[in-house]
Amino acid sequence: MKSIVAVFLLLSLLATASLAADLPKLRVGYIPEPAHGLYFVARDKGYFKEEGVDVELFQFGSAAEGMAALKAEKLDVGTFGTTAPLLFISKGSEFTFIGGIMIGGQAIITRPERLAELSGHDLKVYKGKKIGLVKLSTGDVVFKGALKKAGIDYKKDITFVEFGTAAAVVEAVKKGAVDAGLVWPPHFSLAEKNQGLKVAHYIEEFYPKYTCCRIVAPTAKVNADKETYRRFLAALIRAYRFYKTNENETVAIYTKSLKIDEDIIRNETYVKRVAESNPDPLRKGILEFWQHILDAGYIPNDYPIDKHINIDIYKQALDSVVKKNPKDKIYQEMLAFYKKNN
Amino acid sequence: MNRLFVLTLFMVGVLLSGVKSGEAGGSLFRLGYLEHTGAALCRIAQLKGEYAQEGLKVELVRFSDSRSGLAALEQGTIHAGAFEVGEGLKAIAGGKGFRIIAGGGIPTATGPLAELDDRVQQRLDLSGIVILIPATGGAGEKETLTRLTAALVRAYRSSRAEPELLRSKSVGTDQPIIHFDPYPDYYRLERLWKRLDLHSSTFPPDFLANHVYEEIYCDALDRLLDSAPDDNVYKELSGKAVCVPDCCPKNKKQ
Repeated sequence: MKSIVAVFLLLSLLATASLAADLPKLRVGYIPEPAHGLYFVARDKGYFKEEGVDVELFQFGSAAEGMAALKAEKLDVGTFGTTAPLLFISKGSEFTFIGGIMIGGQAIITRPERLAELSGHDLKVYKGKKIGLVKLSTGDVVFKGALKKAGIDYKKDITFVEFGTAAAVVEAVKKGAVDAGLVWPPHFSLAEKNQGLKVAHYIEEFYPKYTCCRIVAPTAKVNADKETYRRFLAALIRAYRFYKTNENETVAIYTKSLKIDEDIIRNETYVKRVAESNPDPLRKGILEFWQHILDAGYIPNDYPIDKHINIDIYKQALDSVVKKNPKDKIYQEMLAFYKKNN
Repeated sequence: MNRLFVLTLFMVGVLLSGVKSGEAGGSLFRLGYLEHTGAALCRIAQLKGEYAQEGLKVELVRFSDSRSGLAALEQGTIHAGAFEVGEGLKAIAGGKGFRIIAGGGIPTATGPLAELDDRVQQRLDLSGIVILIPATGGAGEKETLTRLTAALVRAYRSSRAEPELLRSKSVGTDQPIIHFDPYPDYYRLERLWKRLDLHSSTFPPDFLANHVYEEIYCDALDRLLDSAPDDNVYKELSGKAVCVPDCCPKNKKQ
């Protein structure tokens, strides 16, 4: 009897392995941001395999390297900010946005003694100030977008000082070379923890649900195999549900995968909720982001970006998940969110 | 004990100097340049020792016209070259596979005729200088090119601090004013590409972008800014460049 059970188990294992080997493969690039954690949840909880896609994750140290790998077709899909894919697309690269991985996440840090001066929920507190930033980072673009929405002429009323890295911005704030600095996770948490600096504002306070890192893929690959990308997004949609409902396990998965301190991940993800891991494409947000880049004068020519956004694959993925779980509150909220933002 | 300490210091010094001279004394990099004031940054970098500072041993090879320089680049007798942008773009459109990694001097039209006729400046734009490299390079290519570009940016900085350097490297006696900028500026090149009507329907939409290697310039500038974050010239260049922003935290417990 034992030998029959053993043979059955062996055959089952072989069948599973054979099924996994037959699944379509996707090579996915990411950067080590806590809010990119849905990839690890989908992998560790087995959602990619259950949805029928064999995903291999590749970490990159910079958005430029990630985009170069995507362009060289060493990757099938990736998340490397919003600016980087927009710059590539505006120079003729055939990439398509199919989803997102992160919403929000940018913060303005200052020294503790300047905090009172910059408090309140009015962007006018930044008039006349010197602000450090990394040019074309999400924080730079959306902060300028928020200022414009608030009717502030930032080219006249604020002095921006550009730095090469977020670490250099933190250092400039610490030294007092600038009044405040725009950085992204986990830099502001690290600045608070290690340098004694304070977060004056999260940009989300002035500009709700702005787009951060988007999921982008080579257009030819997307058009050739929409079904595989749909499965990939369906797995991320299920990972989003898990992240919304299983705090401790999600923090453990993010921490293990990103090797960033657990307290920083928990704080950013669930306590202060500075960024949201959300796979929605946010089409309207991408178009606004592009407009902010043009308004800032960073790029001289407009480009038909909308042609490079595909929201249908995400919608099909969401519909397929909703169909299996029609009464699930989170999936219904995702549906409403999709309708509002696309 | 003291003798042992001195001996150890001496050995460390010998080892360090060996490493340094090894870096600077690597294989020879042959940089072609056009006999044109716009290529002055290449010569200023040599004069001011900027190549050596970047650990490069550079031999400058002079050309009297861009076509012969581009032919040498294609044949592999030079590793990079400072030639006219119009000729460079035409060669790229002709399938030569060159890539542009940096800018140089762009003549600026002056006088009443220039004010009346845009075509004067348009013609001068095409005679501006860019740094071109061949289609493919070997291992370590990116690092070498980043160092080369950093040396040219440093030369630009020197020329700003000492304008007489540019005057000493000017060619001819009746030259137009030259505006120097080491930024390759894809969008400027795209405008020239369109003006020359070089795009073919058989090219992919990103054909030109694939021949403009801006990442080299961005990396070089980042490196220089890291070493001198308060330098006004580097900050000014950074303000003009459109580079993919650094995005990523260090992937380690902090």
